[in-house]
Amino acid sequence: MWRQIGDREAGKLRPNSFLNRIKSTRIQTLQLSNHKDIISPHRGSVNTLQLDLTEGRYLLSGASDASAAVFDVQRGTDYGRGGAITRHKCLFAVDKQHEHGHKYAVSSAVWYPVDTGLFVTGSYDHHINVWDTNTTQVVMDFKMPGKVYRTAMSPLATSHMLIAAGTEDVQVRLCDIASGAFAHTLSGHRDGVMTVEWSTSSEWVLLTGGCDGAIRFWDIRRAGCFRVLDQSQSQLGRRPPILERSATIKGSTVKPSSPSQSTSAKARAPQRKLSNGSGAKHSLIGKSPVKGSMKQRLHPGMLSSQDRATAHYGAVTGLKVTEDGMYLLSAGSDSRLRLWDVESGCNTLVNFETVRMQTSRPIQLATSQNSELVFVPCMTAVKAFDMWSGKTSLKFRGHYEHVNCCWFSSQDQELYTGGNDRQILVWSPPRLVSNEDEGPSKDEDNWSD
Amino acid sequence: MEEEEGGKVRVLIETATISTEPDVDPRLLKAIKSVVRYSDSELRLAARILMDLMKREHSQVRYLTLLIIDELFMRSKLFRTLVVENLDQLLTLSVGFRIHSSLPPPANVATALRKKAIEFLEKWNSSFGVHYKQIRLGFDYLKNTLKYQFPNLQETATRLQQERRERERKTKKILLKKFEILEKNFASIKEEIQSTVDEIGECLEIVRPKEEGVPFCPLDEEDMEEFHSYEFRQLRLQALEEGEKLHENSENKVVFDALRELYKILVKHLTAVQEWILVLVKVELTDNRSRDSYLKEFIDIRNNIQSVKKKCEESGCNLSNIAKHEEEDFWEEGKIETTEGGNFSLPNNRTGGLAVTSTSKEVQGSIPKCHDKESDANKGRSHEGGGSNSDPLRSKLLAEAPEVNWSNHLASWGSKMDVLANHRGLELESHWGRVDQDAVIPAEKIAELNLQATVYKEKQVEIQPCRAPLSNGKVCPRRDLRICPFHGPVIPRDDEGKPLNQNPPKDEKAPDLGTDLVEQLTKQAVQNVREKDKELARKREIDKKALKRAKLAKIREHNEAVLRDSAIASTSKSAFIGEDWEPSTSRNPSFRNKKKTLASMLQKKETPKDRLARRILNTRASAATVRQLTLGEDANYREAFPNQW
Repeated sequence: MWRQIGDREAGKLRPNSFLNRIKSTRIQTLQLSNHKDIISPHRGSVNTLQLDLTEGRYLLSGASDASAAVFDVQRGTDYGRGGAITRHKCLFAVDKQHEHGHKYAVSSAVWYPVDTGLFVTGSYDHHINVWDTNTTQVVMDFKMPGKVYRTAMSPLATSHMLIAAGTEDVQVRLCDIASGAFAHTLSGHRDGVMTVEWSTSSEWVLLTGGCDGAIRFWDIRRAGCFRVLDQSQSQLGRRPPILERSATIKGSTVKPSSPSQSTSAKARAPQRKLSNGSGAKHSLIGKSPVKGSMKQRLHPGMLSSQDRATAHYGAVTGLKVTEDGMYLLSAGSDSRLRLWDVESGCNTLVNFETVRMQTSRPIQLATSQNSELVFVPCMTAVKAFDMWSGKTSLKFRGHYEHVNCCWFSSQDQELYTGGNDRQILVWSPPRLVSNEDEGPSKDEDNWSD
Repeated sequence: MEEEEGGKVRVLIETATISTEPDVDPRLLKAIKSVVRYSDSELRLAARILMDLMKREHSQVRYLTLLIIDELFMRSKLFRTLVVENLDQLLTLSVGFRIHSSLPPPANVATALRKKAIEFLEKWNSSFGVHYKQIRLGFDYLKNTLKYQFPNLQETATRLQQERRERERKTKKILLKKFEILEKNFASIKEEIQSTVDEIGECLEIVRPKEEGVPFCPLDEEDMEEFHSYEFRQLRLQALEEGEKLHENSENKVVFDALRELYKILVKHLTAVQEWILVLVKVELTDNRSRDSYLKEFIDIRNNIQSVKKKCEESGCNLSNIAKHEEEDFWEEGKIETTEGGNFSLPNNRTGGLAVTSTSKEVQGSIPKCHDKESDANKGRSHEGGGSNSDPLRSKLLAEAPEVNWSNHLASWGSKMDVLANHRGLELESHWGRVDQDAVIPAEKIAELNLQATVYKEKQVEIQPCRAPLSNGKVCPRRDLRICPFHGPVIPRDDEGKPLNQNPPKDEKAPDLGTDLVEQLTKQAVQNVREKDKELARKREIDKKALKRAKLAKIREHNEAVLRDSAIASTSKSAFIGEDWEPSTSRNPSFRNKKKTLASMLQKKETPKDRLARRILNTRASAATVRQLTLGEDANYREAFPNQW
């Protein structure tokens, strides 16, 4: 630690790598925080957690008792037990008593990505509410066709304000805050949609995971999904091998010989007329060199076999796109965790050590800085897996019942977890300066004989 | 080296947890502590072993382990950090709040375990909750989510303390208030008392010279009284004896009444004064001088009152009257008591249904006598009779008289007269025949008709409890006539359940009955002879038994030897078996029992229901029942259709 600081001082270490080193060592020492207590006002299981994306300070939580609450994780509201413990009571909470509050469990609560003036909650009472944070009033209300499982807003969006909602219904709906109406209805899933996630590299790309086990990629500018992930399509290593790729480029560009390709080309023809933004999209995703193969896979009226491909046996319960947008993690009710290469759409075959996960409800995954670790709620514990090797590197045991969600704050290197035992726990690196003046009684050996 | 030491703590912990006692052996615990104290690696090992032991499917083991964990937890920081990491697991195993992993069998121990675990958790939370979030979490979860009832020891203690303090404060306040009242009213109280005292003195003065006529100095001079007290008292007693009746009806009754009234008031004053003194003693003031002065005055007053009271009592007249009044009251009460005493005495006293006979000896012999009832009745009679106590013959007869249940025959008790059959003057209208107005029922017939039948009543015998010592330290409360099904024949035992020597009381019963000295002596002699005989016989028997036992042991040993030999011959593991044999035969049986108990705790206790079930539901019994039933059916059928076979 001090050596690193010395190196940084001497200029041997570049600022970025210094920062990353410090952060990763801090992450490795995450433990149940003794000095930060979040006093949960919820009387039901905590289903969702999100820290606001602008300041990284306000934690939004939604719970099964139809309540949502906001906490300030930086400044405590009071101090307990001789000042050693900082208590964080909620700044405000909305629950059933609120006149426009939800009736049933809040399954999803997300911040408006631009600022903390708004937040969105989705509930099992078929409604999505948009709240004004300052007045704690509902400013907009969307009636959905079924229970809302998950809502998401794109953190990159500059040209749209869409809330993607996965519901019991087979269709994914995009609710436009600007107009107050459904902008799109994306159909393709054969069962309810458990989880939705916006791409972190393109503001128009939406990823959804359904109860039918499929993970679909949608470009919201055009109809239909452009990719269905198939668990049987796999690649070894992080990236698809260069050789093969070049070969496919050659194949697709030089001679479309195989019958399947020709049929797909035929089917593609009318599609191309309709969509004009495919080129732009490609550049956005950043794969202009593999345009040809991309086109082939982008086909909206895909082969039925391809359309029926599944990413998991059973439902897809959790999705998380890495920070750089290159990889996608998915959790399924088959208790598997899969890492997908977004670009090629292949399963990277990372074997995450055997875990048991909740199968019946959506779970919320989290990834750490630089995609080193992925935090996964596994029954009563949260496990941190190494993203590339799949090995368990950390295990967080503290909840007494199943954990539903976790959120990692890369700013403070803190992990927040919420579970069925109504608690929101904070996991933080130990304090550098351990405050020895720990209140009234010191914690030390006490041998009487 | 470390391995060796590691073995030490392991062995210690394991031996400590295989006992069946409700506590860990303190010596072992101390040993564990001392081993663990000086070595961190030992402590780590201990934590691991203890967590492993907690997973054992036996509540007793878990219970003892939990006790050890608590001991170490309260002492070592390292141990705390180790345990806290797996606190949820520990709680799952000790509280058993998860449905799929409830506590293992011995149910009573399991409840004790749960109770203890909750208690410990509370303790840990109060002392180390600040430092360990996990403890706080666990506590909070059990308390607020699962709604477990925590004993709340600390809180209750503080609450009790507070309550006590509150009460003390209140009493102080009340005392202070009382003191203030006293300060205000002191003069009037004093005056009042003084006036009463004075009045009494006057009354006494009025009364005394008149009635007694004793040429003594007036009484209110105390020194004089003390001076002559002895003679005075003597004289007074004499005077009382002869002159009591005199002032009951004398013309100075008014004075006496007044004196009595005053006396009552005086007594009241005395109690009041004593209360005030108590208040003064208890009250806490900043300035103690006024209190002391009051106290002094009150003590003086009290002494004064007491002396006056004594004077009154010594003067006698009024007090004796009061006492008499009281006596009357008591007498009244006593009568009620006797009437309530027993079922039989109620009609005896009230209705006069009891007939007292002094003549018929036959009746006396036939009816069982009940002494206490008799005396009860006597008492009642003596009360009723009042002056009749003096009649010695009557009382003697009463003492002898038997008790007879009330019935019609008592109306014609002892009469030898014939009874007219139609003496009531009935007109028998529809009777056509001649009516003999002078028809007479002869006395013998009457006697025959009135012959009283007495129903034999069994004497209520209290069946003695078995009183054999039980495992829980009590004695067997079963009451069986002769043989307790659990502990054999019922024999007299002492308080701890040890059998008393049975022979002497058995033999001594006989002299109880006999009243004649000679008879007793002869019996004694016979007894002695018999006892000697018996002893001899017993000795012989014991010898015989010992012989028999020895023989049996020999046979058994031989059998075992043969078995062992055969085992050695037949298998290659013979040596092992042989070693296994050894302890079971040679070591004391208690060792074996002890080893077994931990497992036997798991076994279900055999209930009477089980035994009955075994008896009833076994195949032979059920087959017999079936057979019987079919036989019965067969017989029925044959009866119904006798012409068919």
